[in-house]
Amino acid sequence: MKSTLVAGGKRLSFSICRVIMLGMAVFLLLVSGGNALAADKELGKAELACLKCHDGKGPDATLEKKLENGEVLSLHVSTQAFTGSVHGETACEDCHSSLDAKTHGKEKASIKSKREYSLSMRDSCTECHKKKVKEFQDSVHAALTKAGSDKAPLCADCHNPHTQVSVKTPQPMAQTPCARCHEDIYKAYAGDVHGKLRATKGKESPICADCHRAHDVKAASLGDGVKNTCIACHKDAVKEHKDWLPNTERHFEAISCPACHAPTAHRRVNLRLYDAATNKQKAEKTGVPLFDKRTDAADTTGEGLDERALWGLLKEFNDDAGGGKTVLRGRLEVRTGVEAHQMTEKSKALKDCNTCHRQGAEAFQSVSLTIAGPDGRPLRHGVNKDVLSSLTSMETVRGFYAIGSTRIKLLDVLLLLVVAGSILGPLAHMTVKWTATRVRAKVAAEKLEADRLAQQVGEGANSASAPGNGGNPAA
Amino acid sequence: MTKLYIHPLPVRIWHWTNALGFVLLILTGVLIRYAGSIQWMSFSTAIQVHNWVGFVLIANFFIWLFYYLFTDKIKVYHPELSPTKYFTASFRQMQFYGYGIFRGDPNPHHVTAYRKFNPLQSMMYQIVMMLLVPIQFFTGVLLWDLARFSSTIEMLGGVRVVDTVHVLLFIFFSGFIFMHAYLGSLGHTPSAHYKAMITGYEDVHVVPEDAHKPAGGAAD
Repeated sequence: MKSTLVAGGKRLSFSICRVIMLGMAVFLLLVSGGNALAADKELGKAELACLKCHDGKGPDATLEKKLENGEVLSLHVSTQAFTGSVHGETACEDCHSSLDAKTHGKEKASIKSKREYSLSMRDSCTECHKKKVKEFQDSVHAALTKAGSDKAPLCADCHNPHTQVSVKTPQPMAQTPCARCHEDIYKAYAGDVHGKLRATKGKESPICADCHRAHDVKAASLGDGVKNTCIACHKDAVKEHKDWLPNTERHFEAISCPACHAPTAHRRVNLRLYDAATNKQKAEKTGVPLFDKRTDAADTTGEGLDERALWGLLKEFNDDAGGGKTVLRGRLEVRTGVEAHQMTEKSKALKDCNTCHRQGAEAFQSVSLTIAGPDGRPLRHGVNKDVLSSLTSMETVRGFYAIGSTRIKLLDVLLLLVVAGSILGPLAHMTVKWTATRVRAKVAAEKLEADRLAQQVGEGANSASAPGNGGNPAA
Repeated sequence: MTKLYIHPLPVRIWHWTNALGFVLLILTGVLIRYAGSIQWMSFSTAIQVHNWVGFVLIANFFIWLFYYLFTDKIKVYHPELSPTKYFTASFRQMQFYGYGIFRGDPNPHHVTAYRKFNPLQSMMYQIVMMLLVPIQFFTGVLLWDLARFSSTIEMLGGVRVVDTVHVLLFIFFSGFIFMHAYLGSLGHTPSAHYKAMITGYEDVHVVPEDAHKPAGGAAD
């Protein structure tokens, strides 16, 4: 019995010990560094082996490699950042499959430049992120890369694969990767209505990717630009404008939002070549640089294309299209990307119609002809501003007209002549009629007077002859 | 001198509404076309007034149209189908305005209830009422809502073409108003035709059929 009790007591004390140890383990789990523990739990042997060197402490902490072009590539990977990243559960080998464990770190591998290394690693992203890569391939960045640009961003330029956290995790505004290349635009954005709101209210206000999209980024001055994105948030925009803006839909079609909502910006008319049949903006074919060649040839003075040159150009593009109709569609927009990001509060937006509709309005002093370039960016050539108010370019720029400011000047002369003629003609007619009436009255009066005198003379003669006649009727 | 009822009430209502409307359209048209140069009212107000008056005049046009379509008074617009007769009469009328009127000759056209227009007026008003006014209304409606009528505008050659037609007719009507006002003063007294368009009754000289030179100098 005693022995049983002793044995039972030993079992009890053993169980208590187990509970205490388990409790301590839970306590340790709670109080210890989550990431470090997660790393221990998630990282496999191979990853730990990699990080042993790449997140090395001591002299190897700044593991780096000198590249052929002189650049220095950091090879350091922070275990903590890596395990906290979206790739924390991805094996190193999944991306770095080309590395041979037997030779890695022992034999010197040659890398020309950071750019070349990023390009070589691009396929590893595609393996998992097929949809995003497909979107990216339709972007201006991808087009620039294809065209040989060494500045257009690749995956890793925006997303550090070893530290990238979920895009849903709020990040400080300034860390948006776009800001690294588009620094001026970012600065303008940070000071405009959206940027200021973003700084205080976070995701309530858009940042770069919300309007321009993260992967299929397009040149904002092509197509409809980002207008639909504006309207996606500002859903009542059309309705609110309709309260005071005649032809609201037409204004929305022909004017970019910043043209009025960035009141300090300079504006210009962008005449864009469109295919009337497909209703798409015409694009330059890769390897066939016709636009620059043709516009340079047509612009004989170097001061911009005039009415005749523009008409000739359209004809050339029409001939290319094999019967298709190339037309010009005008859009009023701000001149630079920086100015497009100087949006202000609604109350400060331009609302005075005369700003654009008066003669000589600033918005119509700069005109350019645009086609979508092969790299996804617009190709431009200057156009003489007089084409907007010339009778001879009525057919060429038939789809763009702003009342008042782009009116055909010759019609002003015609109006003046017609009104002057309609006033002076009747005045002249009235004067002649009045004079003729007076002359006729005068002539009639003179005739009357003459008749009266003649009658008097006749009567006098009669009375004079009557006594002399002696009343002789035969006389 | 007798009085003939030649301007029925619907025609007079249409005429004076049209007259006031056209003056307003021309004035607001000038404000719109020369925005910023004239400060009578804001550009936006000018557009609103222009649009509203335009629609009133379109409705008013149908008063005129239906009145003439459904009464026998449409005869006043019946064209002279014989070119010889028409050109002879037109030439006589032009000769009167350009020469005879200064000599005090009588107006070769004798007004009756069914022949109130002289040959020149007959031709002019047919062109104006059947062609120019409808075109002006049509282009005006297109310009009123460019997005709604975009396909029609595109078919007609684009917004600039439609606007140019509208402006050319605006120029014509601007001149027409002055000429019309002056020609209206060429009755047997300067105010005769104006009074007739208010009362409906025109003073007409009864001319004997065999008279070579009818009395009076009524001009139209």
